[in-house]
Amino acid sequence: MFSFVPMHVSPLSWIALSCAIVAAGIMIYYLLRRPRLDLAGMSLMFLGLGVLPIMVALIGNMEGLDATERQGFCGSCHTMDMWIEDANDPDSTSLAAIHSRTNKFGGKSCYVCHKDYGMFGYALTKLGGMGHVYKFLSEWMWYDRDEIVGKIHIARPFKNQNCMQCHSTTGAIWAGTQDHAGLLEDLRSGETSCVSAGCHGYAHPFSKPEEETPSSDEVHTAIHGDAPGGT
Amino acid sequence: MSPLAKLQDFFENASRSKLMVYACVLGLIGLALMSWSLFDQGWIPVMMAMSVGQGIGTLSLLLFIAVTVIALRGADFRPSLPPPKPSKPQDD
Repeated sequence: MFSFVPMHVSPLSWIALSCAIVAAGIMIYYLLRRPRLDLAGMSLMFLGLGVLPIMVALIGNMEGLDATERQGFCGSCHTMDMWIEDANDPDSTSLAAIHSRTNKFGGKSCYVCHKDYGMFGYALTKLGGMGHVYKFLSEWMWYDRDEIVGKIHIARPFKNQNCMQCHSTTGAIWAGTQDHAGLLEDLRSGETSCVSAGCHGYAHPFSKPEEETPSSDEVHTAIHGDAPGGT
Repeated sequence: MSPLAKLQDFFENASRSKLMVYACVLGLIGLALMSWSLFDQGWIPVMMAMSVGQGIGTLSLLLFIAVTVIALRGADFRPSLPPPKPSKPQDD
């Protein structure tokens, strides 16, 4: 049900770990030896109970928040296993997989596509993530990974603004595509979704009913007139 | 007893060494939770570290501060300047 997500080793992680070991050593020393709480003793305990644990907490926060942006974090709930597998499948032609293969997205593809891009985007994304935790604990965790497909849906319609962080809608190649030109205002305002069945198709097509999902060839020939590729 | 009086009573009667033991035990638990997330970055360790772990760590620090306050209240501070010597009566 829960999977182990290995440590992302960074120098800060090692510094935090070193601080934690020294702090734990000081506390264990006090518990075993009970030194006098004079000035020297209190200074030592200030280091062990104050300075070093605060360092661990600060670095832990930075590393923890960074971890929440990684695919491994999103995939640590079994309900997301199939979404992560599809995104990392080198043979998959879903939008999620195509984008996950680029450096810009890479190991953070879930976050880069699904985060909010407003002024308070980071905080709002984290709040949304808390909602996912609640949903998981209250409902989804009881389903097997194969049962979950078709039962869970994105909380709000996917925003075109997220696509437009990279695809600005102003480039010549993009604007030269007939469907883009005809729907420009609708696409910019979000009236028509980039990831609707009639356009680029769903980002995670395996999770949608087959009749709603255009084949990969249909999607890409409609847009580009040739094989799948980036824009 | 009012909360202020309770607090005053606590600072007058609490055992510093016992509070320090509690602070160390809580500190070790908090550190363990915070360190766990450095090894395993799944949602449970990360959220435990950033909520329960830090909460317990903060409680541990508060206990240490309480020990410090108790120590300072009982400290015998020496004045930095010696008291002025009484002036000798001048001879007539």
